[in-house]
Amino acid sequence: MSAYAALTGAGYRAQVRDKATLFFTFAFPLIFLVVFGLIFSGQDVKQSGRPYISYIAPGVMSWGVANAAVFSVAFTLMQWRRDDLLRLIRMTPTRLPSVLGSRYVLALGVGLVQAVVFVGVALLPPFELDLKSTWPLAIPALIFGITAFLTIGVVIGSLADTPEAVAAIANCLMVPMAFLSGSFMPMDMLPSWLETGSRILPLRYLNDAVSAALSGRGDSGDIVLGCGGLLAFTVIFGAVSLKTFRWSNKA
Amino acid sequence: MPAQPHEASPDTTIVIEEIRKRYGDHDAVAGVSLQVRRGEFFGLLGPNGAGKTTLVEIMEGLREADSGKVTVLGQSPWPRNVALLPRMGVQTQSSAFFVRQTAREHLCTVAALFGVGRKAADGALDAVGLTGQRDVMVENLSGGQRQRLAIASALVHEPELIFLDEPTAALDPQARRDLWEVLRGLKKQGRTIVYTTHHLDEAEALCDRVAILVDGSVAALDSPHNLVARTGAPTRLMIPAGRLSPEAALGIEGVDRVEEQGGSLVLETQVSGQVLTAVDRLTGLADVQTRTATLEDVYLELTGSLTGTGSDGDKNSEHQA
Repeated sequence: MSAYAALTGAGYRAQVRDKATLFFTFAFPLIFLVVFGLIFSGQDVKQSGRPYISYIAPGVMSWGVANAAVFSVAFTLMQWRRDDLLRLIRMTPTRLPSVLGSRYVLALGVGLVQAVVFVGVALLPPFELDLKSTWPLAIPALIFGITAFLTIGVVIGSLADTPEAVAAIANCLMVPMAFLSGSFMPMDMLPSWLETGSRILPLRYLNDAVSAALSGRGDSGDIVLGCGGLLAFTVIFGAVSLKTFRWSNKA
Repeated sequence: MPAQPHEASPDTTIVIEEIRKRYGDHDAVAGVSLQVRRGEFFGLLGPNGAGKTTLVEIMEGLREADSGKVTVLGQSPWPRNVALLPRMGVQTQSSAFFVRQTAREHLCTVAALFGVGRKAADGALDAVGLTGQRDVMVENLSGGQRQRLAIASALVHEPELIFLDEPTAALDPQARRDLWEVLRGLKKQGRTIVYTTHHLDEAEALCDRVAILVDGSVAALDSPHNLVARTGAPTRLMIPAGRLSPEAALGIEGVDRVEEQGGSLVLETQVSGQVLTAVDRLTGLADVQTRTATLEDVYLELTGSLTGTGSDGDKNSEHQA
């Protein structure tokens, strides 16, 4: 068995054996869907005439998937360094891409299952998301999104030495970004300067691409632009993560 | 520090020359040179902060020395040398386990990281006596079992060179002795073992040679036997009181000092064999005990914790004659 396959297997077992974390990974975005869905049930966004759910469902889903990708890899790297497990891996001939690759495939798996569960619930009453025929295009968008947010998680997991630091840094990043990128609030309701300014945020690109694919708010050009933006963030944070990655907490 | 030639030879596993490592204004390693021979059980002793960990991490390739040269199995361990790593095994911390895995799953994962199969993992579990716990989650293992699993992680790929750090620290006396046998077995297979410990009895029982580090420098390097022999601490013969008068004892050739202590007549000598023969002739050897200097005496003398009491009887090892 290759190092990559073994690490993926160990990561998979660790994930499915931690029932509480597993449950909340999938339930967390759904809670936001329920809260926003019930608050804005049956209402349309004035500025566009589109139902709230067509904004909130893709937005919250994008945020939930991105959040899980950031947190899972950041926590894992921090914990592995704390437990000296990265030092153990460092002393084997296993290369870093195998280590990160195993976390990547796990994050992709979690993200795609999250998306399926989320859309499944969003289609039910009272949310009744109107799923467009372009929905399969959300899959590449999600893959690009998970990749970009995973690299951000690697940076956070390399900078933070404690679980508290991971939570603080990741929350500081992900919660404001959810509001500013249109995940929790329809982008069409935001002032135009913010609409423009939010283009510096990776979640904006994921939101736009997933919204275009699932609820038709935009076209295939928006999906391509979203994926391109996420790819750019992947390159940037990938480069930063290679600089910040540490095998050990010791200087 | 004893001067040594430092040319690498096929019989040498590790060669370090004039290694220095400084943290701030503190010299963690202050110019250490030594060689570890192939198949040798090499002990690294010293008080906390003496530089043992830094020196070992430099040998393992986890740290870069500020200056000096390190060659391990003919190669430089720094920067990370993936060609060298499969030939080395490093005992990890007892926390370094993949979470929510059984002992076997953890070890199979480590085996795969080295590119070896599950069979190797089972062999390593067996070698450290954890076959019975193979399906226990790593979180539920006892301290000693975790320690043995950490050692198994270093052995799973059958490396030529093994670094062990306090391997018996959390073990009960029986498990400790069992592990000694495992370690002796590894040596018999021709593997080189570099081993740090605070258990001096263990170092004396297992190591071919030991280096005692003090303040980042090698204060002594030799076999435990030679180090003990060189201390000059006397052997003490303890004869039940009343069997021999102090005057008669002092009359025996080779006896340097005589005193009465705790119901025994204690004879101090540098030539224990000769004195024992004489005592045998005079009173017989029944209930006569000998206490020789140990590695601990040497260690304490060098590390300065036992100034002026280097030959204290309490620190000596006791044998029934």
